This record gives sequence, structure tokens and C-alpha cells, in this order.
Amino acid sequence: MNDYRKPIPQIQPWSAPFWEGTKKHELLIQECAECGARIFYPRKYCPECWSSNMGWSRARGRGRIYSHTTTMTGVETKFLEDLPFVLAIIDLDEGVRMTGNVVDCDPDDVSIGMEVEVVFDDVTSEITLPKWRPVKK
Amino acid sequence: MGKGKLAIVGVGEVPTGRYPDRAPWDIIYETCMQAVRAAGLDKNDIEGVISVNPMAQARLSSEIGFGKIPEELGLKGCNDVCICNAGGASTANCLRLAEQWIDSGIAKTVLIPHVTVHSVLPPDDLIAFFATAGMDLQWEYPFGTTYNGIVALMSQRYMYETGTTAEEMASVVVALRRWAALDPNSMFYKKPVTIEEVLSSKMVSTPLHARECNVLADGGAAMVVTSWDLAKEITSTPVYKLGQGATYMSASAVLRDDFFTREAWRKTTQTALDEAGITSNDVDVFEFYAAYPFCQCVMLEAAGICDPGEAGKFIMEGHTSPGGKVPCATIGDAVGRGHTGSGVSIANYVETARQLMGKAGERQVPDCNYALATSAGGAYMNAVTTIWGREPQ
Repeated sequence: MNDYRKPIPQIQPWSAPFWEGTKKHELLIQECAECGARIFYPRKYCPECWSSNMGWSRARGRGRIYSHTTTMTGVETKFLEDLPFVLAIIDLDEGVRMTGNVVDCDPDDVSIGMEVEVVFDDVTSEITLPKWRPVKK
Repeated sequence: MGKGKLAIVGVGEVPTGRYPDRAPWDIIYETCMQAVRAAGLDKNDIEGVISVNPMAQARLSSEIGFGKIPEELGLKGCNDVCICNAGGASTANCLRLAEQWIDSGIAKTVLIPHVTVHSVLPPDDLIAFFATAGMDLQWEYPFGTTYNGIVALMSQRYMYETGTTAEEMASVVVALRRWAALDPNSMFYKKPVTIEEVLSSKMVSTPLHARECNVLADGGAAMVVTSWDLAKEITSTPVYKLGQGATYMSASAVLRDDFFTREAWRKTTQTALDEAGITSNDVDVFEFYAAYPFCQCVMLEAAGICDPGEAGKFIMEGHTSPGGKVPCATIGDAVGRGHTGSGVSIANYVETARQLMGKAGERQVPDCNYALATSAGGAYMNAVTTIWGREPQ
């Protein structure tokens, strides 16, 4: 696990709870306690009302694919071993949108509107990336 | 907000290509001297220099940012110097800052240069630069985003919502390369492509094939700008800025409700046309710069030339190509020109000026009175539309 060569997220103090959550295999969404906005990506202050009163709620971990692409080439050397890989934008049921990878499936089977669920990839002992796989019918 | 009353009076440019043996400063000398001479001015008439920041070249950026251009060129009348950094929208900001300097009396004439020499950078460094530039290091980069990948996501959604086919998207490249084939300053001069050649090129990030992506190029250009009043005295072919519109979207594409940016372009196009007092039907040439084919479609639809989702068909029918009724991107956008980095869109403004000056050679649009020019930066963080014309109004 320590030979992970790909970039790991550059974590900010206010986004640390998100990454502590993924480490426990929980997907957390930031929520403003003042105005109720659900926020992705996490900020220091609410981007809607500038409140500092920020909290977290646990997401169901389900969503639908808004757009996707299968990358075949043109990546840095450290990503070569993953080719081809699926990059996608996922609309979570909770109403926020994230960029991520779709895994555990044939890239050709990925489509817009497809239902996906979160799967946690423990890439190092400290970092867990949330990824997505098709929901089995 | 009043008009800034800016005019372009001279342009200079070197062809795009690969010049690993050519120092950036050699290109700066050539393009700046061309532009000043084309304006019929003396070097000491230049009172301000506002350069594009060559983001991929840190040392060059530092040299230009700390005022070396007026010194190298011996611009004895220079009152101030500055560098602008807004990615692909840097040139648009150079123009707007120049407008302010001219309007406020800092400088009567301003020189706007851009140069980038990609070919001296190791390929891995270039891939790394474009993999991280404009990408979020926490929420995007760990998942393997690249410029091509982000634009592929936008193209995919555009095609899904509009029903635009792969052939229609490929035809955008065909149209752009037909213009490029007429442009001696393009690395693709006399090199048109067919739909089949586009679709049979290597798949990079679905749905984008290699020929739908940008080739990095070395290049540079320069413009001399001044006030409307002085422009008339300096040259018989001034190019007047008549209107502008700008809007910010977001740094990351994922945060954008207007995902493939059509509404942003609709808004800035309308604002710019209103300020110029014309409609899109009056525009003789649409100099759309956006670096990827789907943007040409989106901008045509935003300008009301095509109904939403119809632009691909329209382009495939040849209407935006040389000889077509709606000439678009007459240097072939970055896809047809080679991508020269953060100053890539300067080529678009230089071509806008050439078309309105009647100096566009084989690409000249007949009776060209009004041009619309666009630019954007980063992963489409903003949309900037300007209208230019041959008469002040």
C-alpha cells in the first residue's frame, strides 16, 4: 500500500473530516447549519451565506452518472497502469455533484443516468478515495 | 459602464510550429517589431506594455513579469509594464487593462505581446503541467483528470443532450482545418483533414479523438492598441472595439449547472451585441476561440445562429467553412492552429483585426464590417465575448 505513486488529495483543514470519513468508509457531505446548503466540495465558510457554522451529514452513497469519459491515453506516467479508466461526474441522491472514477465494470457499459454506489479504495494507510461502481440490479 | 473606446492599429505574428532552437526572446523581438511597424509607429511611441503570462514557462514569466520587454526593445517612451494571467483569457484581460491605461492617460498606445515555446519543455513536464493546470488538486487530480478528460465530460453531455453525432463533431474539426489549410501562419497550413481521418485517429478520452484535441505549438503574436481618436490618425484601417460581455462560471467544471457553458455564452454574446448596437445577423465573421470542437457548436447556438442542438448539423453542411454563409474561427481555433499556451487566444484577436483590416489573405471574408471574438480561460472558468468593427459607433 505504501508504493502508491499517484497523486493523493491535498487536504485542507476544513476538508479533513471528509477524508477522515472515507477512511472509515463513510461518505460525508458538508452542510451549512445556518442556511441548510449542502456543499461540495467542502469550504471553510459556507459559499452561500458565509456562515462559519458548518456541519457534516452522512450520504447514502448512491447517485447517477451525469457525464463520463473513458480515458485511453494522454496521462502522466503514474496513471498509465490504470488505462483505460473511467472518469465521471456523479449526481448524488443528496443533491451534490462530485468528480470520480467508475470501477468494477467494463468501461463500455458506463452510461449517462446509470445508477452507481460508492466504493472505498484504501490507496494508502492514510488516504481512502471514494470511487463508484454500477448498482447491481 | 461606458465603452473603453479601444482600437487595434497593428498586429504581428510568427507561424505556429516547433522551434526548439528559437529563443522566446527572438519571437518577442519579431512579433513586437512587426506590430509596431504595421501600425506605422516609432518604438518610442509605445507608452505601455501589457503581456500575456506564459504560464508553462516560469523563468520567462518572471522575466516578462518584471519588466524586461520594454528594456530589451528599447521602448524609451514606456510609462508602465504589467503581465496578465487568466489562462486562455489572458489576452482578453490584456486588452481590457490596456483600455483602462489608455482611458486614464497612463499610456496613449499599448503593446500586447504573447510568446510560448513549448517544444523546449520535456514531454512529461508538459503532460504534468496540463494535467494539473486548472485542475483541483484535492477533488479532481487524484482521479486522473486532464484537460482532455474534463472537456470529454462536457462534450459527452453536450452530445447526449443534443443528439449530436460523432460524425457531426468530427465535421467541426474538418471545418476548422479547412480554414487552417488557408493560413500560412498555421502549423496545419495546406493540411486539411476528412471526417474519416478524424474518427480513425486514436481515441484519447471518449468521445474525443486525437484530432479533436489540441496539438501544443510554439508561437507568439503582438498587437498595438490605442484610443479610437488616435487610431484614426495612426492608420487607415483601425479596428474598433464596439462591445463586450463577460461572465465568470467556476474554476471546476463539476460545480457548473450550465455544464457545457451555453447559457454563459448566450449571456455574454447578448451583452456584447447590445453594447455594440447590432444583432448577430450583422456579424460577418464569428471568431470563436474555445480550444475544443464542442465549443464551436455551443457558441453558434448561444449566438442564436442555430437552434440548440442543431449546430453540429449546420457545421457538417459546411456553413461555417471557407465560402460558407456564417464563417467561424477563420484560423481554425486552437485545434487548427496549434495551442500556444495561455496566450493562445491572441491569435484569435490578431485574426479578428486582420479580417476587419482586409488583410486576411485567402481567408478574407468579403465585406467584413463586424466581427465577434470570444475567449475563455482554465477549464472554462469564464466566457468573454467582444464585438469589433471598422467604424467607431
